[in-house]
Amino acid sequence: MADWMSQQGTVGEALTRQGISRRSLLKYSSYLATLLALPPTSSQAIAQALAGAKRQSVIWLSFQECTGCIESLTRSFSPSVEEMIFNLISLDYQETLQAAAGEAAERARLEAMEANKGKYVVVVDGSVSTRDGGIYSTAAGKTNLEVLKETAKDALAILSVGTCSSFGGIPRAHPNPTGAEPVSAIITDKPIINVSGCPPMPEVIAGTIAYLVTFGKLPELDHLGRPKPFFGDNIHDRCYRRPFYDQGKFAKSFDDAGAREGWCLYELGCKGPVTYNACATIKWNGNTSFPIQSGHGCLGCSEPNFWDAGSFYKPLPGRMTGAGEAVLGAAAVGAVAGAGSAFIARRRKAAASDPSASPSVPEGADQ
Amino acid sequence: MTLLEFARGPAINAALVIFVFGVIWRLFWLLFLPRAADHSVAKLGAGAAVSSAAGGFVRHMWPPREYAARTRFSLIVGYVLHFGLAIIVFGFAQHILFIRDIFGIGWPGLPTGVITVVSVITLAALIAALVRRMTNPVLKMISTFADYWAWFVVTLPVVTGLMAVSHLLLRYEDMLGVHILSVALMLATFPFSKLMHAFLVFVTRSQTSFFYSRRGSHV
Amino acid sequence: MNKPIDAAAASKVILSQTEQHLVGYMEACLHCGMCAEACHFYEVTGDPKYTPAYKLFPMARAYKRERSPLSWFGLTRKVTEEELKEWEELIFDSCTMCGRCTTICPMGIDIASIVGQARKAFAAAGLGPEDLQAAAENSRDHGSPLGLSPEKLMDRVEWLEDDFETEMPMDKAKADILLTVSSIEAMKYPDSIVAMAKIMNTAGADWTFSSKGYESTNFGYLAGRPDIAKLMVTRIVEAAEAVGAKTVVIPECGHAYGVMRWSGANILGRPLPFEVLHITEYIAKLVRDGTLKMKPFTDAITYHDPCQVSRRGGATQDARDILAGFATDFREMDPTGELNWCCGGGGGVQAMARAADLRHKVFQLKIDQTEATGTKKLVSACANCRMTMDESKDALHWDGELISLIELVADALVVGDEDGDGDE
Repeated sequence: MADWMSQQGTVGEALTRQGISRRSLLKYSSYLATLLALPPTSSQAIAQALAGAKRQSVIWLSFQECTGCIESLTRSFSPSVEEMIFNLISLDYQETLQAAAGEAAERARLEAMEANKGKYVVVVDGSVSTRDGGIYSTAAGKTNLEVLKETAKDALAILSVGTCSSFGGIPRAHPNPTGAEPVSAIITDKPIINVSGCPPMPEVIAGTIAYLVTFGKLPELDHLGRPKPFFGDNIHDRCYRRPFYDQGKFAKSFDDAGAREGWCLYELGCKGPVTYNACATIKWNGNTSFPIQSGHGCLGCSEPNFWDAGSFYKPLPGRMTGAGEAVLGAAAVGAVAGAGSAFIARRRKAAASDPSASPSVPEGADQ
Repeated sequence: MTLLEFARGPAINAALVIFVFGVIWRLFWLLFLPRAADHSVAKLGAGAAVSSAAGGFVRHMWPPREYAARTRFSLIVGYVLHFGLAIIVFGFAQHILFIRDIFGIGWPGLPTGVITVVSVITLAALIAALVRRMTNPVLKMISTFADYWAWFVVTLPVVTGLMAVSHLLLRYEDMLGVHILSVALMLATFPFSKLMHAFLVFVTRSQTSFFYSRRGSHV
Repeated sequence: MNKPIDAAAASKVILSQTEQHLVGYMEACLHCGMCAEACHFYEVTGDPKYTPAYKLFPMARAYKRERSPLSWFGLTRKVTEEELKEWEELIFDSCTMCGRCTTICPMGIDIASIVGQARKAFAAAGLGPEDLQAAAENSRDHGSPLGLSPEKLMDRVEWLEDDFETEMPMDKAKADILLTVSSIEAMKYPDSIVAMAKIMNTAGADWTFSSKGYESTNFGYLAGRPDIAKLMVTRIVEAAEAVGAKTVVIPECGHAYGVMRWSGANILGRPLPFEVLHITEYIAKLVRDGTLKMKPFTDAITYHDPCQVSRRGGATQDARDILAGFATDFREMDPTGELNWCCGGGGGVQAMARAADLRHKVFQLKIDQTEATGTKKLVSACANCRMTMDESKDALHWDGELISLIELVADALVVGDEDGDGDE
């Protein structure tokens, strides 16, 4: 990790050190304002605030993860969010990026925790193993579970980056051998922001951090703890293929005429209608494209349990699993029960029709 | 497990199992009940059983002209309701996918806008039917809990479907879950409610028409 | 009056009638209420309790309780004595089993047959109007609901033979046709019996009355007394078998025709050894094959279809075929035929004194229908309808005329070579 990444001081000082012009800061600020759906005029204020803001101490913990999230962030576009974001924060601990190793790295974390007690932000990517005391994922002889609890204790807030730390993600998918859980299942006494996605969009990670630094508070969150500016709409409602859906024009396979015409991928299992993310608006790779644009339905990766919610290729109205045998069994049992109850009815009819047991003749009948 | 997962997973499958079990149970029970032997001699020239049953089935789709004025409301509401529900169930692409998931067959759907309009009209017919049931002296007298229950389980999917599409009250995925659960409720109670008339109508109309056509009457 | 009501006995009868078609009907009712619009009792009173579907409530409840899979879920409850008592009026006094409600029912439920079965359950519970029960018991004990014993019948026939100079064979050893009577005719409209004899004789038929089986009305059936119903059918069947009759002709009586023609074999438990014809069917046959000729009858008339002959009997066309031959100004009322309005006295309601007011109200429908055709002459082919309408006519002070179809035919008969004045 380059030294500047973990230096204290204001953002403005850091920018100057990096030779980044005020013009670039303004440009970035207006971009940020757009992402956050703030009025254009606020970009000036954001730039002002950013320049004067103290660089936020960040401790980045990677647990049961694939490094996709940090890859997503560092493969960002220009003006480099990577650079920008690392100017906004003082990244005091990040195993993948930091130069230090072993005890030195561990020490860096503890020092940062000590120095910024109650003020540092913990970023977590990856889920936390909880089974058998969390022994399935350890670093420096400590389980992720211990490290998380220890680090979170004096944190200002926690940013769960990626679906694994937000909702458990793939490690938590059935049968979840490590007892993987999201951060929110373990830490309950700190503000937690979930920036979900597998991976999350770099703009969303960066934008959320920038918001924290700029405004010194949490953005508005949805019911799953996700920042509303990015997770307020579902993919479907913002999808450029939506008109085809409304017209009832659907691709039936990935290479049919409809697919080539760019028709809706709903019938091919697209989970856009139940997935909240900014993919359809911000798009990936420098606003180039997103999965649906490249011809594949949305997998719903920013939603809880996305890996276990049935096939990616099963349309939403379809059942997650079939029940063929159970239904056939029900039909068979129903037939037997029907015939059986009719048989009982026949017997009771016969009994009721038996003249020896017939009801007595009403009074007066003999007159 | 989210609400939607519960609905798309165990709930809808359990409902289908109950539906199939219940419908077959009740139909088989009816099928295997003793039939009264008819020793009477059919009228000369009475139609064959199948054709007279079919004729009666068609005849009872629309009451005789004599009743036109008296039954106008029931007929219009009834037909709007049944056709509306049929269009929604069999014409909405999403519902076709549900059917295809179960039966493996599908067909092209109608545009969403058309379905929305039909749903609103159907809902209006349902409400009209309910209001009439609650205000008309005859209907008030003969209505039981079962009648209101049948209304409820049919109306609920229409309402929740419309609300899901319009993003009302709940988030789409939750309302979709509620919608699927409402369908599950309808399916699971179908065999034990008067919704069974969807099957029984074939039985009763046919047997009555057969009964009367043996006599040379066209009831 | 305060006889104990035996709800268990009613349930038991219902159980013994678990036929597939009845259960299907019970389970299929949608409670749509359309049947009210077809029922004359609702039509003239506007009282929702007369809704045909409502009349079936105790039966439906009993079926569901005893039969339906639903009972396994505890969703059903027993029929109570109070309910049976409350519904007695609906099952007996205000249902003529005319079957009109079936024509409007979107599910095609045959409510009339369920009421018929329900009456058995009610009777078993000790319910049902006493005069209707008495009519049934009189039939059993004295041969006829109106006290027409075999001796009385023979007296009557003898007297009519003399008075009207018409041959009326009684107890012939062998005959092709056994002619039956309804006691209403014998006691109130003897002209009808003479008319039948005259027509039979003119047609040259080989026929007879039988003192062993003559009463065609079946109040056992109407009162829900299957034992008496069977006895009444058996008497006629045995009489017909004794004379070797190939045909039994039912007089102008609707339910008598329906019971013998469509239920007789089932009540008996075996096919009938003869053909059953309503008198209108018999005459229509003779008219169609040219055996009978009538002088034209030019007065404007309209025709009231007896429900059990037309809608529930299937002989709607026969009366028209007869009239088409000679009634030159025959006007159909609206509605007519299979959609006719009932006279209000079918299904034994005629025999219930306490139902009189209700019946009279129903007759207003008939008055309106008749007058709408521009005539006041109302022809029918059912003595029970005729008696009902006669009484209602007096009660409502209507100045119209009720005419028996067979009397009309008999009066217009062209006998032998004479040119129409042979019967003067």
